[in-house]
Amino acid sequence: MIRCFIISLVVVLSTITKTVYAGGWFGDKEDILAVVADAYIEMRTGPGRAYPVFYIAERGDTIEILKQRTDWFKIRTRKLATRSDGTDNNKEGWAYVDDVARLLDTSGQLIGLDHPQLADFSQRDWEGGMMLGSFGSTDEISVYGAYHFTAHLSVELSASESFGNISNGAAASLSIVHQPFPHLRYSPFFTLGGGVRKTEPKSNLVSTEDRTDDTVNVGAGVRIYLTRSLLIRLQYKNHVVLTSRDDDEEVEEWKIGLSAFF
Amino acid sequence: MENWTKRIFLTATLLCLVTPVHLAYAQEKKPVQVIEPDLERRSTKIADIDTENIEIGVFHGIISIEDFSSNTVTGARVAYHLTEDLFFEGSYGSSEGDLTSFEKLSGGSPLLSDEDREYTYYDISLGWNFLPSETFVGKKLAFNSAFYVIGGVGSTKFAGDNWFTVSIGVGYRLLMTDMIAWHVDMKDRVFDRDTLGKEELSNNLEFTTGITVFF
Repeated sequence: MIRCFIISLVVVLSTITKTVYAGGWFGDKEDILAVVADAYIEMRTGPGRAYPVFYIAERGDTIEILKQRTDWFKIRTRKLATRSDGTDNNKEGWAYVDDVARLLDTSGQLIGLDHPQLADFSQRDWEGGMMLGSFGSTDEISVYGAYHFTAHLSVELSASESFGNISNGAAASLSIVHQPFPHLRYSPFFTLGGGVRKTEPKSNLVSTEDRTDDTVNVGAGVRIYLTRSLLIRLQYKNHVVLTSRDDDEEVEEWKIGLSAFF
Repeated sequence: MENWTKRIFLTATLLCLVTPVHLAYAQEKKPVQVIEPDLERRSTKIADIDTENIEIGVFHGIISIEDFSSNTVTGARVAYHLTEDLFFEGSYGSSEGDLTSFEKLSGGSPLLSDEDREYTYYDISLGWNFLPSETFVGKKLAFNSAFYVIGGVGSTKFAGDNWFTVSIGVGYRLLMTDMIAWHVDMKDRVFDRDTLGKEELSNNLEFTTGITVFF
């Protein structure tokens, strides 16, 4: 189980690393300035529609974009005038992505931001999610992370844990996934992979050894784009557990999951 | 009048003819000096904007392990905020089961070994900020906050086995700054276990508080 957790942590950490680098933590950071082109832009106290509008920046005002959280951008007005006590009049607040998209950048062009949408679904680089389903007669949960080399081809690392009446198990697997029609809302995919599976008989049974076997699997499924960066994933996999006994074991896996792309 | 119109057209035509010739002539005579403007074009780089959708933190609290008394629990969590409403969360916690009432009263040998009394769990959940708001402390100070419901699946290791666990709970997140949040969570972790002979549903209520940082 700890191994399972460590693997999922690695997936999460790799995502964080990407965010950190994309965020320019280790690069020279320049102020990101923009000019209000609409009549006004609303600034809220928090990154959400529930927080109140407390200030309005007017057309022609220069603002600095500080950071982003989900669909909201923290912005700061840039007014040169300072008060007699040395403080300035600049306000910091949160603006919605649609409003920020209509700001002009320093070269006078629309920033043109957008939230993730169906068109981005086929152009994503990273994908991660959690899945729930059955592995043979056991319940199984898993987390996975995927990197998309092209719109069609991706590599996936997943960690699973299964719970049965007789035995529990933990598995890690690496797969290659091909999707022939990445631009579709219902995008089918085919997968081929291999990994290891550890089977642990329940403690209340007559003492038997834990065993670790190699596995290979083949499967198919469909990713369904929901909204923003969210998708549902349905998949079937046929596993062959390469046991040390006379016969290999064939197990069917059905799963449903919720994922996000980055 | 007619003459006047003709004159305008003629002049216009002449100008059209002469200007290119004149320009071409001028170009032949003087080599045009192309000056590279010494001006750096800067446009807003969207990729440079720092995104803060990941939340990492630790928590500490108390968990009531059914039949095995209450004990302190310590853990860590990672969340990814998809939208202002939804987030994924993964958490890991560890605690220890105490003696059951029977073990304490009978004075007999303990039912579980010390190693089997260790209680660890992880879960992967989906959360929904269903009541985002501002929390006022006094007249002037307001903090952004949200109540959320969270549910997920995971695994609990206890009494020598791993159990498929469903967790459901509510939580409160108060943002002390944009980056640092304080959490209070109440969760029930439910799993079927057959540790004490027959299979039974085990409810394990957990009450924790913690600090997280947004990255």
